[in-house]
Amino acid sequence: MITLENVSYAYPRADREAVSEITLTLRRGECVLVTGHSGSGKTTLCLAAAGILEHEYGGKKTGRVTVDGKDVREYHDLTDISTRVGILFDDPDSQLLFTTVEEEVLSAIERRGFSVAEVEERLAQVLAVTGLEELKDRPPHALSGGQKQRVVLATTLALGTDILILDEPTSELDEQGTESIVRLLEEFKAQGKAILIVEQKFTKLASLVDRIVVLENGRIRNEGPPATVLQDEIARRTLIPDFSGIRTRSPAVNGSAPMVCTRGLTFSYGEEEALSGVDLSIAQGEFVAIVGENGSGKTTLVKHFIGLLRPNKGTVTVDGKDAAKAPIAELAHSVGLVFQNPDHMFFADSVFDEVAFGVDNLGIPGREQAVMDALATVRLTAARDLYPRWLSRGERQRLAIACVLAMQPAVLILDEPTTGLDGSESREILEILKQLQEKGHTIIMITHSREIAGQCADRVIHMEAGRIADDVRAEAAHG
Amino acid sequence: MAEILQYIPGDGIFHRLHPVTKILFIIIVSVVTILTSSISLLAGLLLLIFLLAYAGHLLRPVIQQMVLILLMSIVIYLITILTVQDGAVIGYLIPSFIPLIGGSIPITIGALTVGTVLTLRFAILISAFQLFVISTQPRDLVHTMERARVPVDYTLMFIIALRFIPTLQIEGKRIHEAQLARGYHSGDGFMGRIRSVAPVMVPLVSNSLSRATLLGLTIDLRGYRTRARTRLRERTFGIADKVAIPLMCLAGIAFLYGFLTSSLL
Repeated sequence: MITLENVSYAYPRADREAVSEITLTLRRGECVLVTGHSGSGKTTLCLAAAGILEHEYGGKKTGRVTVDGKDVREYHDLTDISTRVGILFDDPDSQLLFTTVEEEVLSAIERRGFSVAEVEERLAQVLAVTGLEELKDRPPHALSGGQKQRVVLATTLALGTDILILDEPTSELDEQGTESIVRLLEEFKAQGKAILIVEQKFTKLASLVDRIVVLENGRIRNEGPPATVLQDEIARRTLIPDFSGIRTRSPAVNGSAPMVCTRGLTFSYGEEEALSGVDLSIAQGEFVAIVGENGSGKTTLVKHFIGLLRPNKGTVTVDGKDAAKAPIAELAHSVGLVFQNPDHMFFADSVFDEVAFGVDNLGIPGREQAVMDALATVRLTAARDLYPRWLSRGERQRLAIACVLAMQPAVLILDEPTTGLDGSESREILEILKQLQEKGHTIIMITHSREIAGQCADRVIHMEAGRIADDVRAEAAHG
Repeated sequence: MAEILQYIPGDGIFHRLHPVTKILFIIIVSVVTILTSSISLLAGLLLLIFLLAYAGHLLRPVIQQMVLILLMSIVIYLITILTVQDGAVIGYLIPSFIPLIGGSIPITIGALTVGTVLTLRFAILISAFQLFVISTQPRDLVHTMERARVPVDYTLMFIIALRFIPTLQIEGKRIHEAQLARGYHSGDGFMGRIRSVAPVMVPLVSNSLSRATLLGLTIDLRGYRTRARTRLRERTFGIADKVAIPLMCLAGIAFLYGFLTSSLL
């Protein structure tokens, strides 16, 4: 249904091709998974396959793309192509234009020449299959990341096209959410739709995928059925994250005062209670993973450790400081928080200056050394003069860690540090965290992935509806 | 976080009115507000807007917005005191007991009058527009603007500008938090705010720009620029519209007549 013949493309003013000599066929009733390191050309491949590069982007293109047997150049415009191909981009916020979920979905189907009855029927159907009926009057921008992804998926599915191109449709979904999307896509595939999907979670998608394409520096490194592709060692590490050996020792629980301690911590956003009476104690040098579904209070909890949120009730102590009262700048000496999206922090012109920002703010002695040590730890020494936003997602994530690490906090908190990263990039991040733990840092990591939590952390805290539902030490968590 | 200028679902009188009626309301209110300098008429208009907001169950957001207008009024009064010297002096901006500079910058009745008129004008224009936007679904707005033959690009620009206010608010807050966690203290006062511009604004603008491309693609992929719309769930003129439109026109004409005759005299 889609063919790419020897497609190469370089973005305007880019010094190298984003994809090179790609030849690929997507057949009816088939699901092809595209994977690879961040920056390997996955999104560009999606744009090429949908004919978007041809119609909307400048730059240098060679090769030929057909959709439904017709050269993409023969389609009149994107609206014309969109009647054949449903495409979902990786950033849901850019695809939400209206103020209710229902309006958003309607906007995708009300300009297609359907009758009123047909539009109403499609709307009801797609809201039902994506489980959005209850959210239909809510403003999309105020939903959680996972819910936004479902809304965007609904707008993509509403048209009922036979070809779907989905760029990371489940990256912000928890395990339950991901499973429901996979089931939905399986149904579509059974109906004969062709699906091209970019995802990092191969293990969750295994039942859906017929063929895998592994990209490396814009070229196809491997292509074929999963069993064949997985024989290649590098491809396997990319697809199936292997976190074995990261946890090397039993959790060191010593008798000294805890590094982080909360007692009866309660917090509400307006009327909505986000944390209810959380009691938690984390020892110095522990590697703790916090897991839980979207909205269970994970991020709300850790924001209390650095004073970004203050408890309504209860106490929070971090490194001996009263985190309910101490100024954020003072707590930042003890706690470093790496947010989920690294792009929320970068503003400097070079990697070095970006890392130096925090060091200067806290007045840490030996500026140059502190910055370079942090860059060395995250393996970015060679990138010191580059512009932070030019780095790949994996490199930006490591830079974000360096920014916080250079401030030499005793406690390092990371919110979903492996989002959007493939298996080997995720492992790289976790190895860095392990090293930091060995140097004496206390590591607190929020993650959706029970695999990562179970295999890497000394202790797994499971949150549910603002409470700690389970708190398991390594050995038990492993089983 | 309170969201600025976002549609609030509801079933009050303002929600039931047709967008055209509401646009007419804004036009008439704006014309009256700009032409008149009568404090009592302006105060009456503001009161009318509050009453309408109350009747439409939208008083709370309108009152919340008043905080911003109050802050703005301080600046307005300062400017008028510094620039308008008219009528009796009722005091001094710098009290006379302060040595050397005390007793300078007189506050005149004229300055206070101009300040009050300007403040009321801003308050009326902002709250009337706010009332319109928070009670109208963007989809209805698009349809109305389309019917009025406004080019689709302008309509989309307007809708997207409104739509991205809360996204920028939320994103700005996240970026601010991320920088605070890096030990950044934006400092207090005016200079502190100026210094905090780069670490927050650079990521905010860069992220928004990178979003613009996908946003444009999404609009094209949904057929917004080229295709005719299936006319479903159209707004129709109800009884409230049929009563409100003639009433507003009459009030507008009466005002214009009064304004022209009094200025002709």
